[in-house]
Amino acid sequence: MQIYLPIAEVSVNVAWLLGLGGGVGFLSGLFGVGGGFLMTPLLIFIGIPPAVAVATEANQVVAASVSGALAHWRRRNVDIKMGLVLLAGGFVGSSLGVWLFTLLRGIGQIDFVISVSYVVFLGIIGVLMVVESVRAWQRQRNPAAPRRRLHQHYWVHGLPLKMRFRTSKLYISALLPFSIGLFVGVLAAIMGVGGGFVLVPAMIYLLGMPTSIVVGTSLFQIVFVTANVTLLQAINNQTVDIILALFLLIGGVIGAQIGARVSGRLRGEQLRILLGLIVLAVCLRVGWGLVATPEDMFALGVPGGRE
Amino acid sequence: MRKVRLSALPLLAMLLALAASPASAAQKLLVDLSADEIAITTGFTGTELLLFGTKEERGDVVVVVRGPVSDAVVRRRERFAGVWVNGESVVFRGVPAYYRVASNRPLEDIAAPGLLAANGIAAGTIDLAGATDVPAAQRVAFRDGLIRNKTRQGLYGYDPRGVAIQGNRLFRTTAIFPANVPTGPYRVNVYLFDRGKLAAHRESTLVVRKVGLGADVFSFAHRQAALYGVIAIVVAVAAGWFAGVVFRR
Repeated sequence: MQIYLPIAEVSVNVAWLLGLGGGVGFLSGLFGVGGGFLMTPLLIFIGIPPAVAVATEANQVVAASVSGALAHWRRRNVDIKMGLVLLAGGFVGSSLGVWLFTLLRGIGQIDFVISVSYVVFLGIIGVLMVVESVRAWQRQRNPAAPRRRLHQHYWVHGLPLKMRFRTSKLYISALLPFSIGLFVGVLAAIMGVGGGFVLVPAMIYLLGMPTSIVVGTSLFQIVFVTANVTLLQAINNQTVDIILALFLLIGGVIGAQIGARVSGRLRGEQLRILLGLIVLAVCLRVGWGLVATPEDMFALGVPGGRE
Repeated sequence: MRKVRLSALPLLAMLLALAASPASAAQKLLVDLSADEIAITTGFTGTELLLFGTKEERGDVVVVVRGPVSDAVVRRRERFAGVWVNGESVVFRGVPAYYRVASNRPLEDIAAPGLLAANGIAAGTIDLAGATDVPAAQRVAFRDGLIRNKTRQGLYGYDPRGVAIQGNRLFRTTAIFPANVPTGPYRVNVYLFDRGKLAAHRESTLVVRKVGLGADVFSFAHRQAALYGVIAIVVAVAAGWFAGVVFRR
């Protein structure tokens, strides 16, 4: 069955949307990731205009992260103070990001910037995931191998505006989480992701937060930042497709539940290697679109950033 | 599609009767469309429109369907540090969003290019003078790029055998509207050429618009963008919360 998406203005197969939502939802349930970084490029591959894919995916990430954030909230796995500082940065960053998005769309470079961001981030994350999991796997088999120290001191600990974060047991400069939130906010706006794949490692390795509260705090921030992106994209670009988001959501919710159930029965490290390889595959596919000679040397643009 | 054809039958019969009656001799060209509106519903996957009519015994028929006009930006892909980026761009004014020509034989056999161009027949007539920023010689390449892109999207086309003529009096053609058809007012022009001269011309109009839920969502998103954004967030939060409650273990 085909459905005409009112904002994307294309006709797509409903089964594709549900399958895509389900598949990415399954992976996100399996690995505990948001899935936005896989969904947005896949939506672009099936013919959704990139600007609509990014804005709609931000909307879907709101839904995907709300249930996770609530679950962590109930278990008190959220550092609210840290979350709020991250969020302050996130609001500034995502507003900046949407402004940049609108500007780039007007000068016809948004598709290029989206693709490049994906290649860069998927490439880095994919490689890190594979390397890290292979190491962890080897460590399991050879427990004598050296471990990495968790809490290290860098130059960043010398920054002003120090603040005490009781839940995280940290006394650090508020500028640090603020700038991390800002950076992730820009990414959320331009790539249509929650940014958990940057936020979580940054919170662990840069801030030195305890792993137990990292995921809950990051989800807390993601809910509000993606909500801000949704609102600003709707106002500035009218690119949020509610119908598309709903279909992805239905598939995503079901897929995530199945994924979460399956994940308990599979071995963690091999799973992460697999996710790393999937991420790298998507990265290569997006990268191919950038380097392959286009079938036509001329392309149609959107006049003045409006359709 | 089937519905459209069925509803066209009585009209076709009427035209046949007209064609046979002596009164029609005065009418050089009569045209009708199987519908005067194309509704983009939620299940829309593109449609075809049947255009038919009667004509004088002699002459060639050219049908031009033109969509709403707007500015079009054409960008040239350029290689930059190994990757392809959008480079130089040209803005064309008054470009039809949809433009299809059909005729009963190749246009060059029907009339002189000048006469065709004067009547706006052939996609090559997009106004180059309205283009800005680049020298005239380059504008042609950009215009050809524009036409190529539109053709690939199924929005532009030329079918030199698209008009079928029966018994020298009746003619019919189908205009294809793909799923990505732009909304707005369309003009359908039918020209009758007799030995290279314009003998008759009829214009009718057609509206392509979104209807139903999709139309409501679209107009809401554009008219009350902020409220639409808030609702999108509320729906997402509700869905996420609902999923969390239902699947809570």
